[in-house]
Amino acid sequence: MVGLSLGEKHFIQGGIAQDLRSDGRKRLTYRPIYVETGVIPQANGSARVRLGATDVIASVKAELGKPHPLQPDKGKVAIYVDCSPTAAPIFEGRGGEELSMELSVALQRCLLGGKSGAGYFHTEKSAGISLSSLVVVEGKICWDLYIDGLVVSSDGNLLDALGAAIKAALSNTGIPRVNVAAGASGDEEPEVDVSDEEFLQFDTSGVPVIITLTKVGRHYIVDATTEEESQMSSAVSISVNRQGHICGLTKRGGAGVDPSIILDMISVAKHVSEQLLNQLDSEIAAAEARENES
Amino acid sequence: MEYVSPEGLRLDGRRPMEMRQIRGEIGAVAKADGSAVFEMGNTKVIAAVYGPREVQNRSQQMNDQALVRCEYSMANFSTGDRMRKPKGDRRSTEISLVIRQTMEACIMTHLMPRSQIDIFVQVLQADGGTRSACINAATLALADAGIPMRDLVTSCSSGYLNSTALLDLNYVEDSAGGPDVTVGFLPKLDKVTLLQMDAKLPLDIFENVMQLAIEGCKAVANYIRELLLENTKQLEYRRGV
Repeated sequence: MVGLSLGEKHFIQGGIAQDLRSDGRKRLTYRPIYVETGVIPQANGSARVRLGATDVIASVKAELGKPHPLQPDKGKVAIYVDCSPTAAPIFEGRGGEELSMELSVALQRCLLGGKSGAGYFHTEKSAGISLSSLVVVEGKICWDLYIDGLVVSSDGNLLDALGAAIKAALSNTGIPRVNVAAGASGDEEPEVDVSDEEFLQFDTSGVPVIITLTKVGRHYIVDATTEEESQMSSAVSISVNRQGHICGLTKRGGAGVDPSIILDMISVAKHVSEQLLNQLDSEIAAAEARENES
Repeated sequence: MEYVSPEGLRLDGRRPMEMRQIRGEIGAVAKADGSAVFEMGNTKVIAAVYGPREVQNRSQQMNDQALVRCEYSMANFSTGDRMRKPKGDRRSTEISLVIRQTMEACIMTHLMPRSQIDIFVQVLQADGGTRSACINAATLALADAGIPMRDLVTSCSSGYLNSTALLDLNYVEDSAGGPDVTVGFLPKLDKVTLLQMDAKLPLDIFENVMQLAIEGCKAVANYIRELLLENTKQLEYRRGV
């Protein structure tokens, strides 16, 4: 865990109060983002995102599966996060499981929405990836997307970094085109032919980014480092898409937050998300260009 | 199946005694005391070293030497088919143990009594020879952490398929069912610290196959030495010496 002396704690808190943090940033400034795509050749899509000393990898794997009986016209998406012990010795053995689970659930909530059907991916109008586009044969075959996140190095703000990595990995993803043999009907399983040349790309312009606002003292900051996170009273993670819609929200930390502050945080997150989205999009484009070159 | 073509080329176009391309990078994890990435062809692993530091579990503390611990984990996306295995299955426990024993043999543990050194290796991509890649990455990470070592232990695998000794097997060759010899080697002391083989092999052929793996280890050691020298030069340059 972070071991800080009283003086260091005061320094961090005082810096945040004066809008000048330990690393010279302002309260609402992100660390520089560095994106690398196509890092895992075996996956359908992958990306590595570095945010200061935080380093995460996301990969997307597509497998053919069977749609859920209640939603025969939709594919399935699952997000799993794993915290590697390389990031911190406390993740050794089963030590990282709790955090992994917390991050997985928060990402599911922020990016996919809940099971109730009101979630982000389910509403066709604003969906980043419409689940319907993952269906191959209605009620029989669909694509299951497995999104795996891996925390390689941790210096705070894992959720935002993982969100960005997943967005980058999805834009890097190619789903093979599937040809269904004609004539199959009734109860028999249709025969499919998975193309290894033609790939469908996702339109990821609608995938939201996650902004975590960490409350330290009376102020809140974005992109907190581990040291700053150790001083937080509570944190609110808000996922916002290109249109400025709130797609999901999670509050962590013990202390209560005044409702008016939460509304204030949301409007700030909306404002910050525009910059982050632009920065991330240009980084992703640059990474893809680099990948195509090599 | 034919693993070596009549022209003497392997499935991935290598000669029998050719290694895959190796690449190492020091300092991949900012927060660790020492870290490195090591690639052997498509196999890619990250190693991070924490320590020497206070022993976490007091009952494990040793008064005459340091405690060395190691954990090996594979990322869900590292293999061709996505896998979801619980942590600490038998295979990874065994590999953790192998890496720990190999590294323990070369760390000068008697210099750091009552302390603990943690080595964490994470496989990002598995394409055969993860054991070797992990040991090489761990060596680099230990060197980066500045932990005193007797020698730079390196590892390489070799096998025997189609009556040919092959160096540095990839996944396809590894799963062919032939013998797979993994050697850990101390190049300066000229000593073998790790030797594993499955399947049977006549004694005279085994000698050749093991010799081939040792040659591979020496090649890796040369590369690692160059890499560390280059890294030290960079550090020197940054300090303005």
